[in-house]
Amino acid sequence: MTSGIRAALKIARKDIVSQIRKKFEIFSMLLFALIAGLVFSFALPTALVEDLGGEAAIGAALIWVIVFFTGMFGFSPIFLAESESGTLRGLSVAPIPAWSVYIGKVIYGFVLMVLVEIFIIPIIQVLFGFTMFNEEPLLTVVTLLIGTLDLAAVGSMASALTMPSESKATIFPLVYFPTATSGLILLTEITRVLATGTTIVIAVGLTIPILFIALLAHLVAMITLSAVVFNFALSP
Amino acid sequence: MLTKRLIFMEIVAIFSVFYLWMTWIFAPPEATLGELIRIFFQHVAPALVSYMAFGVTLVSSVLYLVKGNLKFDILSAASIKIGLVFTTITLLSGMMWANATWGTPWNWDPRETTTLILWIAYACLLVYRASVDDREMRAQFGSIFGIVAFPAVVLSYLSIYIWRTLHPIVITPGGLNMGFEHGITLMFSLISIGLLYVLLLDLTYLVDSAEEKLMKYRMTRS
Repeated sequence: MTSGIRAALKIARKDIVSQIRKKFEIFSMLLFALIAGLVFSFALPTALVEDLGGEAAIGAALIWVIVFFTGMFGFSPIFLAESESGTLRGLSVAPIPAWSVYIGKVIYGFVLMVLVEIFIIPIIQVLFGFTMFNEEPLLTVVTLLIGTLDLAAVGSMASALTMPSESKATIFPLVYFPTATSGLILLTEITRVLATGTTIVIAVGLTIPILFIALLAHLVAMITLSAVVFNFALSP
Repeated sequence: MLTKRLIFMEIVAIFSVFYLWMTWIFAPPEATLGELIRIFFQHVAPALVSYMAFGVTLVSSVLYLVKGNLKFDILSAASIKIGLVFTTITLLSGMMWANATWGTPWNWDPRETTTLILWIAYACLLVYRASVDDREMRAQFGSIFGIVAFPAVVLSYLSIYIWRTLHPIVITPGGLNMGFEHGITLMFSLISIGLLYVLLLDLTYLVDSAEEKLMKYRMTRS
């Protein structure tokens, strides 16, 4: 188990170092996230935002929508790049468990997305005039991290699934979106309640703890299922 | 084999006629909902059967990955198609119910939304399978996707317990929140629609298997 985790960390480190050298994907993700934020500011005029519950309610959901779509840039090349450069064969025959390859890629996708969020979340908060860290800052940060990990887990598996497909660019959204949407619906709900400043107990009774448990269950289910079946994805 | 299939079809036909009689004539109007209760029987049974269909997909996907026999993959794909049909019926009948009860066919209720996500997930799975040319790769990766997509089924089912929702909770661990005649009709509708699912699955599997054999024959000839 520990050797598998060590291998996963090494794979993640290799990808992160490669990304630091190239910088292409992370910059394209950042720019896309910024453009998406701008487009939403055009699409949602101030009067409409007021009608829909205020800046915090809209902004909190928008952050996840932007992160969700930015994931397409970040997660799609995770396995595609390995397949195109011919290094996927090396990973499949390496003396490490298949799940460690998957976990390593999830860690890489998670780090990539967190780096983007560090920049994009403050920008979205300024553009839309709200803050997410009012009432429960620690819980908000934990939700952001768990949500990003969830999207990274789904995105990595989706990237692996596009490998045998004829039209990889077209197929990735079809695989990524439905599997990620289950987690996204939970994330936007939790984040909206936290950002609008309503307290956990008063606003929705026991719903936030239940939503959080559901989110954690979704994360565990996706990572476990994907890690277990990944052996078959790596060795067709 | 043909005789057994014909006998099964006759049984399903008898159950279907009886199901129609029970839902439209036997079950009385409900105290609050009146005749609207009849939409309920066309909604709950297809919903539960669609969950079962995707569960069959999950199991056959696992079996394919473990055993490598293509018949499990054919079964998995057939179950996805039938499951999608029943999910469509669930969504449409649900919209009819929502329109009659709450005045609008779609309210973005958590149960409605998660069921739509479920429909989209398995529709995308079918499109994904069509995008992979190699037969073994399609089976292998299609099975992986079939396993990874299953949490959407669980979320759709549990949505009424996780969120505050407009959707009524009729089936509880303590029993059914309804009168005796309605309870019996619901149970019977579940059995009838379940049998219909099995029949449709069998016929779809038969057609898809024949198609596979034909494709293999054409490829060996060319």
